[in-house]
Amino acid sequence: MSAIAPKFRLSYFIKSILDNVFWIVILFTLVGIPVLMVSMFYFPLPVMNEKLTSPYLMLTTLADPSRQIPLLKSVIHSDFFRITAFPGFGFAALLAAATIFIERKMLAKLQLRVGPFYCGKVEGILQLMADGLKLISKEIIIPAKADKPIFWAAPVLFVATAAAFVSLIPVAGGGWVVADIDVGLLAVFAVIGFFPIITVLSAWSANSKYPFIGGIRALHQMISFEIPLILSVLGIVILTGSLNLTEIVQSQIHYWWIVFLPIGAIVFFIAILAELERIPFDLPEAESEIVAGWLTEFSGMMYGLVQLGSYVKLYAFAALFVVLFLGGWNGPMVWPPFPEEIIKDGITMGPITVHLAGLPLLDQQMINDVLWFVIKTMGVIFVILLPRGVFPRIRIDLLLHIGWYKLIGLSFVNIFIALGLLYAGVLGPGGIL
Amino acid sequence: MADAVFLAISVLTIGSAIAALELRSLIYGSISLMGTLGGVAGYFLLLDSPFVAMFQIAVYIGSIAVLILFTVMLVRRQLIFIKVEDKRRRYAGIGLMLIMMMSLGAIILSSGIKTIQTDAPPVDFRTIGEDFLTYYWPALILMALILASSVIGALTLARREDIENDQRTS
Repeated sequence: MSAIAPKFRLSYFIKSILDNVFWIVILFTLVGIPVLMVSMFYFPLPVMNEKLTSPYLMLTTLADPSRQIPLLKSVIHSDFFRITAFPGFGFAALLAAATIFIERKMLAKLQLRVGPFYCGKVEGILQLMADGLKLISKEIIIPAKADKPIFWAAPVLFVATAAAFVSLIPVAGGGWVVADIDVGLLAVFAVIGFFPIITVLSAWSANSKYPFIGGIRALHQMISFEIPLILSVLGIVILTGSLNLTEIVQSQIHYWWIVFLPIGAIVFFIAILAELERIPFDLPEAESEIVAGWLTEFSGMMYGLVQLGSYVKLYAFAALFVVLFLGGWNGPMVWPPFPEEIIKDGITMGPITVHLAGLPLLDQQMINDVLWFVIKTMGVIFVILLPRGVFPRIRIDLLLHIGWYKLIGLSFVNIFIALGLLYAGVLGPGGIL
Repeated sequence: MADAVFLAISVLTIGSAIAALELRSLIYGSISLMGTLGGVAGYFLLLDSPFVAMFQIAVYIGSIAVLILFTVMLVRRQLIFIKVEDKRRRYAGIGLMLIMMMSLGAIILSSGIKTIQTDAPPVDFRTIGEDFLTYYWPALILMALILASSVIGALTLARREDIENDQRTS
C-alpha cells in the first residue's frame, strides 16, 4: 500500500487516462480545429505546388511530415515568431534564465561555495526550474494599505518595458530584429526612460518604508546615470552618421568602435552597471540595509516577474553594448555549410530514402551571425556579473559624484576624441579607414 | 486606419489631460499627465516624424514627468491640499479655455492651412541637421553655448565642497 495514494487501483488509473484521452480528442475536434482555422487567416500562408494554400489544405499538410519544413520556414519568417520567439522575448528570456543559473554558480565558485547542487543530477542544473515552480505556486500577498492598481500593474509593466527594449536589438544580419526603425538608438533611450517611473511608482504604491527608500534611491541613480549613458554613445553616432542600430553594426565590419572609443565604452559600461542596479551600484536593493529595496513587498510570481524583467533588461543592455562597441554579429565564418548531398539526394537510412523539401531551414550566414552575437553577449554578461563577487556596495554620495562629475566629464572627452577622428579625416564618411 | 488612430490618440490625450486636472490623487494626476505627453508623442508619430516623437518620450516622460512624480512624493500631502473649491471659478476657467481654443482655431483655420499639400514626403532628420549646420549655424552655436554653460554649472555644483557633511569621511 502506497503512502501517497492509499486507494490506488490500476483499473481506476486506466479509466482516468482513457477519460482524459476521450475529452482531449473531442475538445480538439470541436474547439481546437475551428480556433486553428480562424487563426490561420492571420498568418501569411506559403505557396505550395504553385497554388495558394487555404487553411483547410494547410491542416492537411500539417499532418504530412515531408511538407513541414516549408511550413516551419514560413512560421519562422512571420512577425508573430519574431516578436514572441527568436529575436524577441523568448530568446531573451531563455538567455536571461541561463544568466541567473550562471550567476549563482559563478558567484559560488568565486566565494568557494558549491552553489546550487542537489536539484538534477549534474551540478544542480534543475534548480532554476524548481525556483520557478516555487514562485508560481506561492501565494501573492498584497499589503493592506497598498495602492492596488499600481501595485498589480508595476511588475507587468516592468516586463513589458524590458520586452520593448529587447525588440529594438538586432541579433543577426538580414533583418533579424523585431523593430528596425530609423531612430533606433533614440527609441532605446525613450524606452529606458520608463524604468525609473515604474520603479518609483511601484515603490510608492507598496506603502511601506523600505520600498519607498529603495525607490527614491533607484530614481536618483537611474536619472543621474542616464545622462552619461546617452552622452557616451554620441561619439558612435557622430562617426557613423546614423541612429539605426543595424547600420551601426554594419559600419563595424572592419573595426569595432571600442578600438577607437575606449573611453566611451568604459563610461557606457559603468553607466549600464548603475542602470541595472548591479553591485557595486545596488543601493536600490541593498539587502543588508533596506531588506530588498523596492522589491520588498513583492511576493510569489509578482517578484518572479520583476526578476524576469530585470534579467531580460540585463540581456538587452549587454546586447546593446555588443551592438554599439563590439561589432554586433560581425565575426569570421566558422559554421560549416549545409551538406549539399542531403539537399540533392535526400537522407538515406537503410532501405528508405527521405527527400526533405525546403532545406536548409536557416542559411549559414544567419546561424554564424547569431553564434557570434550570443558569444559576445554572454561575454559581456559575464563581465557585468563579475563585480558582484568582487566589489562592496558604494555610498550614495560617491555614486552620485561618479555619475555627475567623472562620467559626464569622461563622456565629453570621448565626444572630442570622436570629433577629432572625424575632422582629421581618419574615420567617418569619407575617412581613410 | 489613420483616422481611427488619430481619434484614439485624441481621446487619450484630452481625456488624460482632464484627468490630470481633476483627479484628487496627485500621483494618479501625474500618471495621467504622462498619458497626455505620450499622446502628443503619438501625434508626432502619426505625422511621420519619429525623431521628434522619441525625443518627446525621452525628455517629457523620461525626465519631466519623473521630476513631477518625485516632487509630489517628497512633499507632505497636507501642506499642498488646502481644499478651496469654487464652482464659479471652475466654470469661468472652462469658458475662458473654450474661448481661447475657438479663437486659436479660427486663426489657424483662416491662416491658409487648408491649402497645404498633405502628401508631401516627411522631412528626414538628417536634412534638419544639415540645415542646422549650414544656414542656422548662429542659432546652433548659441544653443550649444547655453547648454555647455548649464552643464558646466551642474558640474560645478556637483563638485562643490564648501558644504561640509558630518557623515562625509573622505
